[in-house]
Amino acid sequence: MISARKPINNAEFFRMPGDVMKKIVFFVLGPDRPGIIASISRVLFEQGCTLEDVSQTILQGEFISIFIVSIKDSSDGDRLLAALREKLAPLGLVAHMKTMGDYEPSQQSGESFIITTVGPDKPGLIAGMTEILAHHGINITNLKAVSRIEQKPPHYITIYEVDIPKETDFHCFRAALQGRAKELGLDCNMQHREIFEQVNQV
Amino acid sequence: MLTEREIIATLDMLRNENLDVRTVTLGVSLFDCASDDAGRFISNVRSKITRLAENLVDICDEIGLKYGIPVVNKRISISPVAAAAGGFSAEQMVLIAVALDDMAAQLRIDFIGGFGALVEKGMTKGDRALIDSIPEALAKTERICSSINAASTNAGINMDAVALMGRTIKQTAEATSGRDGIGCAKLVVFANIPQDVPFMAGAYLGVGEPDAVINVGVSGPGVVKMAIDRARKADPSLDLGRLSEIIKRTSFKVTRVGELIGRKVADRLGVPFGVVDLSLAPTPNVGDSVGEIFQSLGLKSIGCPGSTAALAMLNDAVKKGGIFASSHVGGLSGAFIPVSEDLNIAEAARTGRLTMEKLEAMTSVCSVGLDMVAIPGDTSAETISGIIADEMAIGVINHKATAARLIPVPGKKAGERAAFGGLLGEATILNIRDDGGSAGFIRLGGRIPAPVHSFRN
Repeated sequence: MISARKPINNAEFFRMPGDVMKKIVFFVLGPDRPGIIASISRVLFEQGCTLEDVSQTILQGEFISIFIVSIKDSSDGDRLLAALREKLAPLGLVAHMKTMGDYEPSQQSGESFIITTVGPDKPGLIAGMTEILAHHGINITNLKAVSRIEQKPPHYITIYEVDIPKETDFHCFRAALQGRAKELGLDCNMQHREIFEQVNQV
Repeated sequence: MLTEREIIATLDMLRNENLDVRTVTLGVSLFDCASDDAGRFISNVRSKITRLAENLVDICDEIGLKYGIPVVNKRISISPVAAAAGGFSAEQMVLIAVALDDMAAQLRIDFIGGFGALVEKGMTKGDRALIDSIPEALAKTERICSSINAASTNAGINMDAVALMGRTIKQTAEATSGRDGIGCAKLVVFANIPQDVPFMAGAYLGVGEPDAVINVGVSGPGVVKMAIDRARKADPSLDLGRLSEIIKRTSFKVTRVGELIGRKVADRLGVPFGVVDLSLAPTPNVGDSVGEIFQSLGLKSIGCPGSTAALAMLNDAVKKGGIFASSHVGGLSGAFIPVSEDLNIAEAARTGRLTMEKLEAMTSVCSVGLDMVAIPGDTSAETISGIIADEMAIGVINHKATAARLIPVPGKKAGERAAFGGLLGEATILNIRDDGGSAGFIRLGGRIPAPVHSFRN
């Protein structure tokens, strides 16, 4: 899995004085196979893009990746997208593009926690839990859900990495979270991210 | 970045293995409270302890909730009272103990440790006054623990102190005879006592320590037992070398959590963080037993031949993992085998699998010694001193801490039950050889010289 949360700010090195840059987000989806990232990054390089952030994952054989690139403001984004699609279509992959606005990403001050839920799979589990998070203004920074099919009935494990704002009423939020988990038949746990880091990282 | 496997494995440890922080102990120096007036001394102590510890319980609970790791016990260790209050009489020492007990209750602290003295080379007037006050002080208080260091590798064994402590233990048992001699459950005689123990009854704040400091005792033995059980279930062919590796890794994780919580509490209190004590401290609850670890390692019971080897391996693996996890490891840092505080060990004592002699042998490789051992109430003071002297010798020669916390249960004989309640648990009274054979040796008194530090064979 590829993941880079901090910008690899190569754009600073390649930018010429006077260049005005813009940022573009690409989404690529399709069946996983070796060489996808090589193909995408080759096209981006040839089109004069500088890669800033990449995140990639594979879910049940489906490759999904997000690229944030910077290019000269005068460059043609549509031409870039066309070049990508031409390269990726034979691989069964689809690409989408969006120009990023000038908005700053939300800078919520809070602490990072990991919430996990485990329980029998049924519709509405994530919708039910995330409703509580949204209600308390808690942002999900990473989400992973996996099935444990060896268990009877199959169990669904969801791992939410969240930022909890400092002003959050911890007792109230924890009670709401546990209450909803109980309604959904889930075993819910919330731990500070530091615990996992301390236990697992040397 | 955390992987889902790391997250799930950590959660298993947190949820299913009773991972907690066993104690957060605030050390408070009392040397700046000194006075020639007992009332003034008590007032100074109350003022200082209250100022430093008034939020200790709330902060521990708050951080425990935030991190999802409960802090089970919140305690205070103080400078040895015999030194900080060296000018006072035994009667005044009792007043100090009662005042400390009152402070502990007001602050909702489990125990205050440090009502003790360091007498390995000799006794001051204050040391003697404190020891003389122990029976009454421990009878009149609930939350005060007393430790007397009677020996060290550098000083040898103060046999006059050992003899005195034999008598003091008898008197303390008699003073609390209505409760099976519970006073003795809070009285321990040490060799090589560390200055930063967070666990009771040995906790005190050494003279080389800061004005205030947070020391932490990590989680109990349930985590280690479950890790061994899970590993053996997944791979029944695991040998002791690989099981030792499992224990080591578990200890690493437990220590990391303990230090994290300790540092957070220290930050909030505005005092420095001291050490993590790696000791596996059992409680009288199912699943929280050091004795059960022996069974997980294939022994029918603690006390069976092989137990000393198993304990040596356990102790060593715990230390290796913990020392890698933290640069500040201290206290006793090993496995405790307190008979009454551990359901499984108490059961081994009841069935006769665990005898006094085997316990003593095991203390040569564990972190404390003869701990919470109930003995017949009519055991003579000289025999008690003889047992203490043997235990001191093990510590002095092996350059390690050892201790004796013996409870001669008034009016009860070997095989009967003694119940102390709460964390102190209950146990069958062990049979010991008490035929007066130690008296001549103990009455000689004096100081057994320090051992040579070379030619270690």
